[in-house]
Amino acid sequence: MADEKRTLSPMDRVWNFFISVKLAIVTLIVLAATSILGTIIEQNQPPEKYHKIYEDWAFALMDRINLFDMYHSVWFLLMLVLFTVNLSCCTIDRFPKMLKVVRNPRTKLDENLEKTLSLADRWKKKGTLPEWAGKYGEALSASFAKPKVTEVDGQVHLYAETGVASRFGVYVTHLSIIIIFIGAILGNVLGFKGYVNITEGESVTKVPVRGGILMQDLGFTVRCNAFSLETYPSGQPKAYKSDLSVIDGGRETVRKTIVVNDPLQYKGIWFYQSSYGQAGGATARVMAARKDGTHEDMLSLAPNEPVPIDGYGIVRGVNYDQNFQGNGPALQVVVEKPGQPAASFWLFQGRADLDRQRADSMIFSFGGLSSKMFTGLQVAKDPGVNIVWLGCTLMVIGLIMAFFLSHQRVWVRLAQGADGRVEVVLAGSANRNRLAFEKRFEKLQTGVKAAGQ
Amino acid sequence: MSNVILFNLTTVLFGVASALYLGALYAKNEKIAGAGTWVCVLAAVVSTAALGVRWYESYQMGIGRIPVTNLYESLVFFAWSVNLFYLVVEWKYRNRTFGAFVMPIAFFTMVFAVYNDSSIQPLVPALQSYWLHAHVITCFVGYAAFAVSAGVALMYLLKARQEEAKISEGVVGLLPACKMLDDLVYRAIIWGFPFLTAGIITGAAWANYAWGTYWSWDPKETWSLIVWLVYAAFLHARVTRGWHGKRAAILSLVGFLATIFCYLGVNLVLSGLHSYGGG
Ligand code: HEM
Repeated sequence: MADEKRTLSPMDRVWNFFISVKLAIVTLIVLAATSILGTIIEQNQPPEKYHKIYEDWAFALMDRINLFDMYHSVWFLLMLVLFTVNLSCCTIDRFPKMLKVVRNPRTKLDENLEKTLSLADRWKKKGTLPEWAGKYGEALSASFAKPKVTEVDGQVHLYAETGVASRFGVYVTHLSIIIIFIGAILGNVLGFKGYVNITEGESVTKVPVRGGILMQDLGFTVRCNAFSLETYPSGQPKAYKSDLSVIDGGRETVRKTIVVNDPLQYKGIWFYQSSYGQAGGATARVMAARKDGTHEDMLSLAPNEPVPIDGYGIVRGVNYDQNFQGNGPALQVVVEKPGQPAASFWLFQGRADLDRQRADSMIFSFGGLSSKMFTGLQVAKDPGVNIVWLGCTLMVIGLIMAFFLSHQRVWVRLAQGADGRVEVVLAGSANRNRLAFEKRFEKLQTGVKAAGQ
Repeated sequence: MSNVILFNLTTVLFGVASALYLGALYAKNEKIAGAGTWVCVLAAVVSTAALGVRWYESYQMGIGRIPVTNLYESLVFFAWSVNLFYLVVEWKYRNRTFGAFVMPIAFFTMVFAVYNDSSIQPLVPALQSYWLHAHVITCFVGYAAFAVSAGVALMYLLKARQEEAKISEGVVGLLPACKMLDDLVYRAIIWGFPFLTAGIITGAAWANYAWGTYWSWDPKETWSLIVWLVYAAFLHARVTRGWHGKRAAILSLVGFLATIFCYLGVNLVLSGLHSYGGG
């Protein structure tokens, strides 16, 4: 053993290191163990937060080894690389061998093979070799699989197999992991993730990505037509809805109302409902009507913004009270007419009759506050995501193949015995679920023995 | 609400079944264990009905959703899966001693559930997705398989100690042979592993559909990956390095502890995106 080791070239040693399953198990356990760290230490928080929890020296040390963003740290990525290299080498090492075994199955039941098979039965029959070979071949075809017939040295060997796919399950599973990684890398390199707020009625053509360092041009325009919030009777939120339009080449090409779990997709870029809020200050809706009934105007008063009315003066909303003097919502306005001192008074929501009592040519009625909302959208482009889903699908298929299929093999050997009778050996093996195979083998045994009687 | 009454009845039945299985071991009486099986079957019927009724009642309340969306519901669904999984094992292996080790897991899960808020709450927008159904169901069937594996692993460790000491008397003497227990520890995991894998994948698909990222290393995701890695290590250790028996049993128990932490610990101890169990 020691001699053997000494003769290995350094290359071989490196290779043996990378194909070992021991390394795989250690890597799996170490990945699991270190992953725990990142769930205990909250990731990607602002430094102030960490300073509150950790001493300065501890913070410096942890920051140094990237514990605050460990899943993207160099050392964690290196572990993933090691894992992938291990997996690839292992596959390159074993797959061809497996393929060889599957392609050139041992179709002859020789003595050596016979010794390794625990399921075996022997009996003798009167008759000729070809006669029994034919009968048993039919019996195998009927209840198991069509056998391959080999004749050597005056013996006839029948070999039948099912569930060869079982052997490939492991490789499909392992390959799927590599495919998922490829998809993830593609997504990271070629895609982007961003976040943008759009106020109702406004639109964007660029979104900030990578924490706002870069602006990503979308190549088209997205407008938020409206945002609405639905609640259950209890007041809990039921749905956040954003009515979005895509404007491409000067035309509205898509319009869709998105909710959480139902995003909008356009040219490979996805828009997800993520948050919402009130955009800037609210505006007050005020109806201004001339007392003589000749004219009515709907004013929209932003806080402290002067709004002129032709032939009257300037109106400003200066104050809002939810419940002014116990009389409900009210708006304080200031009216400046040319050549007159500014007048200030309160308007109660929905009570135009009260303002009528004020001696003026204009009656104001306050219709309430209306505020614009903004919708917060997660924006993502991930050209690798379908590759990831392909990998995921393959993984599930591979696992099912590996665990629930079984490569079952059955041999029959017929030889002319010294006493003139035909000596028969029936043997079988399965790579998985041997218990189930034993039962199947028993049935096969009775079936084959009964053949031709 | 009637679903909660049915779930409480289920809890009692699981308790009775556990007691019968344990009693059967102590009294060495197969008949008592047989009664345990019938109680388990009854509990399966009652708890299935309870899930159905709860589903129906949510529609009556105008909420209308599958009953697997908060901590209470996930606990009862887990217990339901463990019970069914157990019945299949008992039937396939024609042995009733497993019940003493597996049914208490279902019972204590239900007892824990009873201490949680059992009202039917409407779904917040993030949870309104068909992926939710696929995600929760696959995860919990996986967890149930791991629970059965861990219960059997415990039996294995007891039995192995006894076989080492060459005693065949006492309660442990009634347990199935080590070889069979060892096999079952593995068989339960090869059921659990594809389900957990599917659970992680459906979770990722859902996250991608809800916020555009299939993997964000949030603590719940990370812990599900940790559990997955532990069981992957188990499979490789077993298939390629011949880890059978004691070491395999211990690894199965470690895997189940990680599973419990992933399920409950993350919500109770750590913070993250997953909503249920926090409040
Ligand atoms: C987490 C990632 C991995 C998963 C999910 C996985 C999955 C599997 C599965 C399901 C099996 C079949 C086990 C059984 O038959 O019970 C298997 C076997 C195997 N795996 Fe992996 N594997 C992973 C990583 C690796 C790595 C990194 C290596 C690198 C050496 C590796 C090498 C092997 C080998 C050699 C076998 C045995 C193949 C055989 O039976 O012929 N696996 N793997």
